[in-house]
Amino acid sequence: MLRVALIGTYVALFALVGVGVRALAEVGDHRGYRPAQPIEFSHRLHAGDTHIPCLYCHYGALRSPHAGIPAASVCMNCHGLLSRQTAEIEKLRESVLQVRPIEWVKVHNLPDFVHFDHSRHVHAGVACQNCHGAVEGMSRVEQRMPLTMGWCLNCHESRGVGDHGARTDCIRCHY
Amino acid sequence: MLDTQWESVARVGGDHSRPARDTWVEGSPALNEISDDIARPLSARPSAGWYGCLAASTTALAVGVGCVTYQIATGIGTWGLNKTVGWAFDITNFVFWIGIGHAGTLISAILLLLRQRWRMSINRSAEAMTIFAVMCAALFPLIHMGRPWMAFWVVPYPNWRGPLWVNFRSPLLWDVFAINTYLTISLVFWYLGMIPDFATLRDRAAAGIKKRIYSLLSLGWDGSQRTWSRYETTCVLLAGLATPLVISVHSIVSMDFATSILPGWHATIFPPYFVAGAVYSGFGMVLLLLIITRRVMGLERYITVQHLDRMAKVTLLTGSLVAFSYSSEFLSAWYGGHADERFVFVNRATGPYAWAFWTMVLCNVCVPQLLWLRRIRSSPAALLPISILINVGMWFERFVIIVTSLHRSYLPSSWVMYYPTSIEIGTLIGSFGLFFTCFLLFIRLLPMIATWEIKGLVGAHGAESPQESHV
Amino acid sequence: MTTEMKSQPVYWKSLEELRQDSRRTVSDRDEFAEPLPWKRASPVMPAADGHSRRDFLTLMGFTLGAAGCSRATTQHALPFVTAPEDLTPGVPNWYASTCGGCSTSCSVLVKVRDGRPIKIEGNAEAPLFGGGTCATGQATVLSLYDGARLKGPLWRGAPAAWQEIDERIESHLRATMARRGRVALLSGTITSPTTRDLIARWSQHYDRFQHVVHDPVSYAGIRRAHQTCFNRAVIPHYRFDRAAMIVGVEADFLGTWLSPVEFTAQYARRRRPAASMAHHVQFESTMTLTGANADVRHALAPSEIGRLVLSLLDRVEQRDRSRVDPPYSIPASALDAIANRLRSHRGESLVVCGVQDEAVQTIVAGLNDVLGNVGRTFGLSPSSLQKQGDEGEVAALIAAMRRGEIDALILYGVNPAYDHPDSDAFLEGLARVPLSVSFADRVDETAAHVHAVCPDHHYLEAWGDAEPVTGVFSLMQPAINPLFDTRAAPGSLLKWLGEPSNWRNELRSYWQRNLFPLQSAERDFDAFWDSRVQAGFLRVPVPPQPSPAFVGDLDAAVNRIREDAHAASRGADEYELHLYETVALRDGRNANNPWLQELPDPISRLTWGHGLAIAPAAADRLGVRDGEIVTLIADAHRVDVPIWRQPGQSANTVSIAFGYGRTHAGPVGNGVGVNAVPLLRQKSGRRSRVVRLEKTGRSTTLAATQTHHSTEGRPVVREATLKSFLGGVGEHGAAAESLPSLWAEHQPGSHTWGLAIDLNACTGCSACVVACQAENNVPVVGKEEVGRSREMHWIRIDRYYQGAEAAPDVLFQPVMCQHCANAPCETVCPVLATVHSADGINEQVYNRCIGTRYCENNCPYKVRRFNWFRYANNPRFDFNMNSALGTMVLNPDVVVRSRGVMEKCSLCVQRIQAGKTAAALSGKAIVDGQIQTACQQACPAKAIVFGDAQDPRSAFARLRQSPRHYHLLDELGTRPGVGYLTKIRNREA
Repeated sequence: MLRVALIGTYVALFALVGVGVRALAEVGDHRGYRPAQPIEFSHRLHAGDTHIPCLYCHYGALRSPHAGIPAASVCMNCHGLLSRQTAEIEKLRESVLQVRPIEWVKVHNLPDFVHFDHSRHVHAGVACQNCHGAVEGMSRVEQRMPLTMGWCLNCHESRGVGDHGARTDCIRCHY
Repeated sequence: MLDTQWESVARVGGDHSRPARDTWVEGSPALNEISDDIARPLSARPSAGWYGCLAASTTALAVGVGCVTYQIATGIGTWGLNKTVGWAFDITNFVFWIGIGHAGTLISAILLLLRQRWRMSINRSAEAMTIFAVMCAALFPLIHMGRPWMAFWVVPYPNWRGPLWVNFRSPLLWDVFAINTYLTISLVFWYLGMIPDFATLRDRAAAGIKKRIYSLLSLGWDGSQRTWSRYETTCVLLAGLATPLVISVHSIVSMDFATSILPGWHATIFPPYFVAGAVYSGFGMVLLLLIITRRVMGLERYITVQHLDRMAKVTLLTGSLVAFSYSSEFLSAWYGGHADERFVFVNRATGPYAWAFWTMVLCNVCVPQLLWLRRIRSSPAALLPISILINVGMWFERFVIIVTSLHRSYLPSSWVMYYPTSIEIGTLIGSFGLFFTCFLLFIRLLPMIATWEIKGLVGAHGAESPQESHV
Repeated sequence: MTTEMKSQPVYWKSLEELRQDSRRTVSDRDEFAEPLPWKRASPVMPAADGHSRRDFLTLMGFTLGAAGCSRATTQHALPFVTAPEDLTPGVPNWYASTCGGCSTSCSVLVKVRDGRPIKIEGNAEAPLFGGGTCATGQATVLSLYDGARLKGPLWRGAPAAWQEIDERIESHLRATMARRGRVALLSGTITSPTTRDLIARWSQHYDRFQHVVHDPVSYAGIRRAHQTCFNRAVIPHYRFDRAAMIVGVEADFLGTWLSPVEFTAQYARRRRPAASMAHHVQFESTMTLTGANADVRHALAPSEIGRLVLSLLDRVEQRDRSRVDPPYSIPASALDAIANRLRSHRGESLVVCGVQDEAVQTIVAGLNDVLGNVGRTFGLSPSSLQKQGDEGEVAALIAAMRRGEIDALILYGVNPAYDHPDSDAFLEGLARVPLSVSFADRVDETAAHVHAVCPDHHYLEAWGDAEPVTGVFSLMQPAINPLFDTRAAPGSLLKWLGEPSNWRNELRSYWQRNLFPLQSAERDFDAFWDSRVQAGFLRVPVPPQPSPAFVGDLDAAVNRIREDAHAASRGADEYELHLYETVALRDGRNANNPWLQELPDPISRLTWGHGLAIAPAAADRLGVRDGEIVTLIADAHRVDVPIWRQPGQSANTVSIAFGYGRTHAGPVGNGVGVNAVPLLRQKSGRRSRVVRLEKTGRSTTLAATQTHHSTEGRPVVREATLKSFLGGVGEHGAAAESLPSLWAEHQPGSHTWGLAIDLNACTGCSACVVACQAENNVPVVGKEEVGRSREMHWIRIDRYYQGAEAAPDVLFQPVMCQHCANAPCETVCPVLATVHSADGINEQVYNRCIGTRYCENNCPYKVRRFNWFRYANNPRFDFNMNSALGTMVLNPDVVVRSRGVMEKCSLCVQRIQAGKTAAALSGKAIVDGQIQTACQQACPAKAIVFGDAQDPRSAFARLRQSPRHYHLLDELGTRPGVGYLTKIRNREA
């Protein structure tokens, strides 16, 4: 009975430590985050079926740190002409008519102390899917990649970003 | 069986060539008498003195808890630190408490290996003191952080931050390992020493929760020859493990300073200097505690004047070593010829913190000289104030090293003064509260003297009593 | 580089957001720290940034909790409804404009990020100012987001509609006009030609209209003197860059006098250590920035200045006997030497004097005339238009007001109730004016007593122009739509004049009528206008005129000075009073700006207040310590001020700074220091102000960022004489690189960034300090914390005194993180929060820092700054970071640091990254000078040079080869990336 008690205690202790370490290790990994959006916009339809290039709407990614979410006016470039009307598209019209921005829910979030520059990566030839997953296949966007520091650095290392050493400098992202 | 048993105890306890009882235990208590004496505090109602002490120390502890809570909730800014002085009370207290700890390990490990039998009746409480001191010490590196809730980052654990790891070049990281090792070994050593006594208590205790706890703690001790022989081996092995720690821990702590580039910190003498200081202050604290407890718990028979005398001698020795280190520091500063280095020491002795420096010299260099006199060494009344002064002096030593070196370093434009705030003082008080609260609970709940070792001292000559036969 | 601003839907949007946001709770106020207007919830991780700090308690203790709750966070992204053409979120736009910080009107560029102006920079392409700025100019961007600004017009203290107020004012003006009543416009110096033209039209419209100009610090004496001496009532356009011998008399031309940015640029150009290096002698009563930079400096009492300039003139004219005995504080031999040096530099010397005394200025003009400087260093055409005040006219106006003769008074950019010596009389008069209107942007001391307050735009919201120096025009354009319901003051004047046009069109048409014809570059006006709006300036040729003959009456001036010499009497217990401007607060109009309040004075190093500067010897005689409060008694006026022992202070003179003691500036500026202006009031006839001091026994704490003033003989600031430097002897750079090192060398990347700081060029003006604060979101911590030595500035300017307390040498040394190759901080951090980058930058990773402060202890330069508290969104630190409005100034490219982490100079890494990105996107390599740090850009003396040590052609690499180059504390073997160039003094020994 005594032995059991002792061994039990040890096992419990180790298990707790293990769980703790594991949990700590996974801080900041939000894979599977798939929030509902104010408008049921389908990337599968737009980027997938109709093959609209990512940069047509997210043109900010070319020259800005932020890819940006297209203004409603950009959507209306097409939807102003398209006859097809649905409840979702009606929401879009509403926002344009009432000049009320649509409150999209950000799916891919980085902590504020991380400065990620879309333009640098786009110009380096990194495909959007590398970080955002196969968005063209998602009817509702979901975070597929861990977006953790180790995950970023794997890429920086393997692709040999920048010159020697600079690829893993903290100040590449943190300042 | 019994004889072999006592022989084995004697082997652990030291050689039997000289009769033990004459010096180290007064009177000739029978073995069961010893058990009674030592176990009495655990069963009897505690004295008013004990309650008084506990009340005082828990109050102090409460003050500390309040201060730390406020500081963590508001910010390190509640302390008096500034752009130039980044450490002061926090690390002073840390080094101070780590130092206190050393005496325990020294007594229980080194003196064991050196077969010093006089240690037997004091080592248990000395080890306890070590553990409580290290607990207090470990508190400060934690709360001195700007973001203590991130403290776990100093532990190298697998993470998803890529190559991000801890910095093994940083002495602070060495501290983390040193302190944890030290705490672990001390705990094991302490606990191991108590196992036979837990067994004794188990057998004395009437059936019930108390008995169950003691039996769990005694790990099924059966007092058999096999158990005893394994026990001795383990004791000696652990003593061997613990001995280098006495040296290493404080050497590593001293490297927080020695490896920096700050004049007044950057000195190769620091490791031995700090170890000597640590043992010095440690024995000061042991003296203080034992002089009080032997009176409060009525254990004058087992913690005799000879014990105090021996400890006073060690104190005198280490005190002299410390004094020597002070002088050699000044010598090397002068002889080294580095202007900034020289300035720091001149500034220590004559600058705005000279009062702290001279307090330190008074307490650590002058006061211990009294211990040359046997009359002083053998008088608890005289040793009590001395032991207090020693601890005051050693606290100021750390304060002087840290603050006077920092507040005026290389660029005069950044010279500033540091003044502690009530929060820092409260935290210091609180650490004493924690220490004494733990110690008081210890002497109340656990056998503060190694019964079996004392019995070893008394040896087989003591009368037997049947119910003890199986111990 | 700069683009004209067209449609700005984003601004209207951010205005909406601003309004709703100001009603929000602290918990979601952080949106302005973000490049996109995202709504934020709680943090993903305990982060080293403003957003996560507010609920750190939930994360405290058991961090595993953070892993759990992090999933719950939701961030929204609000795109534009209609995408603006010229704005990409995250990409800054730059607009050329003109600084409105003071009447100097420097040309600046405004950095606008996502619709918010966040940084002011000098316009390097514009004439005169050389691309630098001053501390005040840098701080003006924060004043835009000042919560104390009026949100709309007031009538009798109550909010009212513009229309209502306009009707009241217009009807009153009509009535006044009908009965030929007097209308007066009391303004500060107006450098805007269009506004001046508009005012001219007022005087045509109202025949009894009067325009009076009031400058808190008047320059009228110079103009009056030059009227009599040259028949030109102008302030000369001084050219220090043409002067080999500069004599400054009570004129702090590097710090606060007339056009400091311009003068500093000129001065620095002429002070390069070469045979042509100018020699600079300064006479002054208190230690100023200019005196601190002089080769030879003499302290003297204000009453001695007349005798000084006269005895200089005598010696320059080599009269056998002087017309006046020289000032007792200066040895005659010294005067002879100076006079000789002046004579040996005819035509390339310059004597400037800041004393507004016609007689003294006449002598000074005579001196420059005798020395043949007129038209060379002492230009009368072009001339400066930067100060047009006339205290005589102001006094006359006040008298008229008190007689009840003024029927309508319009106050434009003035605050006489605070900064006029006779403010009581002014207020008494104001009470008798039937209609008083103020354009103040807040209810200041004056606006509190007027009928109507019609708040003017902040200059970043307004159209405008300026002509600081004749022939040099500068444009002002809005960088953001008005945050509040304000209106451009000239627009109001236009409206009340009954003109249909609006202010912008007025501006255009003025330029079309008057300036377009003067240039030949552009044929089409619209093209001309666009190009000028984009460039921000226009320079038109000024027809050269023969420098006028000197017709001044020297003898009268001489007699006047002789009288004064006799009249100047002072009791044993009396001191002469001298008032001056500080670099930070100047005349006090920006007193509510926390950046300026916390900017350490370059000389005294005081923040959040001022002291009564007194010579240490005098202080000892009086038995007073720093911070001890004394009562200053000037005639009837008594004021309590703390003592500040000032080395180099004239023996029997006490000096006190303007700009403090505001009562209606706003929460930040109110009650800081005492208002010295009333001390200017005096019995007529007495020209030297004599005061007495009484001890009160009380004392206060003065928050100084530096408490030890001697180098202790350590070679931290190296200096040499010009002779020894040219001769190649003396203390210069030392080769630290030759020291052996135990460390393995860093593998250098493709760059090795660093700074070279020329201690010979640096004047200590502190523009870099504010620039750094603006660029890097450095928090303001307030007087109490500065008093605890916890200021957060990433760059500081150490000031050391050397030599005798009465006449010390002053040394300035800007110190920021030295970016050591062998950084002591890097080895001791247990969690690798500070490490070395491949580009040679010492990185501080806030989000990794746990705040052990070990690095701070081990840093020999003490440049690391710790976040002792949460400085953002914390009512305890109620400055710009504690309000939604104030946080709009934050730079989105730099994270706001959390409590408990270390921070320090990052070498403006965000600018380096931006430069690298630009290079990557354009496919070109980074060229030298393309990346500038904030401190470098702001420096008017070009004392700071950033660059790549690996590029041998870079200016930085060349400076590192200079024989003057050395590293601070190089004996430690830290191998800094920041280097210094030895200071050179142009004098014997």
